[in-house]
This record gives sequence, structure tokens and C-alpha cells, in this order.
Amino acid sequence: MAEPQRLRDLELERALRDLGPRYPYPPTPNLATMVRSRIVARPIATVRPVALWRDPRRLALVAAVLLALAGAAALINPATRDAIAHFFHVRGVIVTRGPSPLPSVSPVTPLDLGRLTTLDQAQRAVGFTIVLPPALGAADAVYVASGPPGGEVALAYKPRPGIPVVRETGLGVLVTEFRGDLAEGYITKEVGPGTTVEETSVNGDPGWWIAGQPHIIVIQTGPGESSPETLRLASNTLVWEHGVVTYRIESGLSKAEAMRLAAGLP
Amino acid sequence: MEGRPLDDTALVERARNGDVNAYEALVQHYQELAFRVAYQVTGDAADAEDAAQEAFVNAYYALGRFRAGAPFRPWLLRIVANEARNRRMAAHRRTALAQRALVAQTSGEAAPSPETAAEAEEFRATLLASLRRLRDDDRLILAYRLFFDLSEAEMAEALKCPKGTVKSRLSRALGRLRAALPADVRLPATAGETDG
Repeated sequence: MAEPQRLRDLELERALRDLGPRYPYPPTPNLATMVRSRIVARPIATVRPVALWRDPRRLALVAAVLLALAGAAALINPATRDAIAHFFHVRGVIVTRGPSPLPSVSPVTPLDLGRLTTLDQAQRAVGFTIVLPPALGAADAVYVASGPPGGEVALAYKPRPGIPVVRETGLGVLVTEFRGDLAEGYITKEVGPGTTVEETSVNGDPGWWIAGQPHIIVIQTGPGESSPETLRLASNTLVWEHGVVTYRIESGLSKAEAMRLAAGLP
Repeated sequence: MEGRPLDDTALVERARNGDVNAYEALVQHYQELAFRVAYQVTGDAADAEDAAQEAFVNAYYALGRFRAGAPFRPWLLRIVANEARNRRMAAHRRTALAQRALVAQTSGEAAPSPETAAEAEEFRATLLASLRRLRDDDRLILAYRLFFDLSEAEMAEALKCPKGTVKSRLSRALGRLRAALPADVRLPATAGETDG
């Protein structure tokens, strides 16, 4: 036979079964001791519902204990931290704290902002009204991305006097707007120890100011958790939600300056 | 691999009532499997250890939501795989960013030239490398079935998917593994004949 035949399913399954016992696993660490010490330190709260209903004071006490436990768990469990991020009501954006410092990388990573277009065409492509920050005026470039439901618009502004260039984007200011109500988890921001995340209020709406060391921004480019994503480093960012739209201003500006740009937006 | 449903059920019940020793026994029993499943996802020993440890702790506090009498093993593995995925994702993002600085470097992939004597070993190395290139989900489903011998019901529970879709998922994962293998790969005469 001139052409080697491709492996059939059964052969491949057999080859994998053969590989299984030889798989080069590292030695299994002893987890039992560590796990035991952690659960002994924080036992399960056991409650007896009948007795509780009869005694409101006891119920209140247990509720307080459970709340305290939930708070402690929230500090430990990254999944709960995500839930807290949602709790702060900036929809479409999840902020997680990464375990280690971020790698130092080449300054400009691809922005993947979507398709270059005009403001008019972008407006027709997205499911919300695009608003430009009055202090900046017309954007130097407009991009539209179809990743999130309802679309996303990115307004790019070149550096100019008073607006320094951002190493990570090569731009002065980048404003993005998308339907946060439709795109749960569209953006994930992973911040390292050198980045601060501060809860803030933008024009009366809840938001975050993320500043300091650049953070990782992960953008879901399709629907579903396992869809492809793009990622890059992002600089100081003000993110907030007004109505159904989530706004994001990324720049090298201070919080006060970023707030001034945001003041002209909804 | 034979599960120990009776022992598990009793241990889980005791752990639920705050018996730390019972839970420690469960950890002892499943730590190797949990660590290996986590390693299948993370590909890194330290991340796998963290993920497995975190999963055991989280599973303990989630015992209240565990359906009494249900199989513990697939339920635990689902938590392990989730923890491992989170860690892998974080690690992957860091690596991906770091690698952008190294674009200039060529990926010097050496063409395998099998020697007859080392053919089986070579084949396994190729298989392993292709396996590692698969998506987590595909690698996990193959590992659950072919490395860890989970039943279809257990796989459905561990993967949180309908039982009826396990077979087709497995078959698609095999297909993608085949596609990831070099086109000229051949099953060596010896491979697969060692067990009966």
C-alpha cells in the first residue's frame, strides 16, 4: 500500500488505552493534609430548620454567621469574586484578580477592535445609540465588532496635547460601547498585584476605575463560555454602565481626567 | 476501575454532618484521580495541585447541595475540572501574552523519524503531543473514558451533558485527535497489544 492508512476510531481508542497507564503524570501530592487543615479551620455551618423558625433571634444569629462565612468564602473563591463583580452591576464585564504578576510583553499588542468603518455605518450595525465624548469630538477611527449580541463600537483617538500616547494601544484614548445587558461576561479583566480596582460612580451610575500596572483584557469573540477570545494588555480604564449600555474609556489619563471625558457621556 | 458507591455514600453522609475524618478519607481515596484529571487540563503540576486542593475544599462546603445517594466521583470531578480550567485559562493568558514578545522565533518542529526499535515509544510521544494540542474538553472526555474508565453515566455527570450525547462527543474528540496527528502517523505493530 503506497499511502499509509489513517487510524480508525477503534485503533485510536486502543492506542489511548495503551497510553493511559504510561501517561507521564507528576507524582500525586498529598492533598489530604492540606485540605483537612483548611476545612477544620472553617467548619460547615449546620443548622436545624425547625428549631430556627421557632426562635427568630437564633435565626438572625445564624443568618449573620452565614453571611460572614459567605464573605470569607468570597475572598477565597475566584468564582465568587466574579459573582461579586456582577453584583457591582457593570454588566458584561467581569474583573478577576490574577494570582501572579503579569508578564512583561512587547508594548503594542494587536487591538482586534473589529472592522474599520464610519460612524454612520457603525450606528446602523449596533443595537444602541452611539455617543461620542464631547470633549474629544469626532473619532480618528471607528471600528465595529459583531462579537457581542447588539454589537460593539470602538472609537479610537490619536494622542494629542494633553492626551498622552498609551503604550499598550498606541492610541491616546479608546472608547468602547456595547450592550452589557446582552453580553454577560463579554469582557474579562484580569488584574495583577500592581493594579488597583476602585469602585466608583460615573454620572451617578456604578462603575470601576482600574489603574496602575496594565491589566489583561479578554474579549469573547463569539457566544458561549468556550468561544474564542482575544486578549491584550490594557491601561487605565474607567468602565461603567448606563441603561443597557456598558461604556469603557481606556487611556493614560488620571482618574479625574477620565471622569471629565465620561461626564459628557450618558 | 471499580467505584465504591457504598463506602462513598456513607463517607459523604458523615462528612456532611461535619465528620472531617470521613472527608479526609474521601480525599485520600480520590486525590490521585483528582490530581490527574486536573493535570490533564492544566498540563502543569503546580496548577494541577492547586486546582485539586481548591476543588476538594470547595466540594466540602458544597456537600449541602450534593444529592444524597448520588455518585460522588463524577460530581467531584466536575468541580476539579472547573477549578483546573480556571487556572489553565489564567496561565494560558499569561503565556499567550508573553509569547507575543517572541514572535520572531521560529517554531523548529522536528520531523519524527521513527526507528524500528523505538517505534512504539515514538508513536506514544506523538500521540501524547497531539493530545496536548486538543481543546481541554476533548482531552478531558478522552481521558475520562480511556484513561480513567468512567462509565457513560459518570461522564455525563462529570461533563454536565445529557447521557445521550456522550458517545457522539467522544467520537468527535477522537476525530479531532486524529486530525491533530501528523498525516503519516502509523500504528506501530506493538502498540495496544500489551494488554489483553
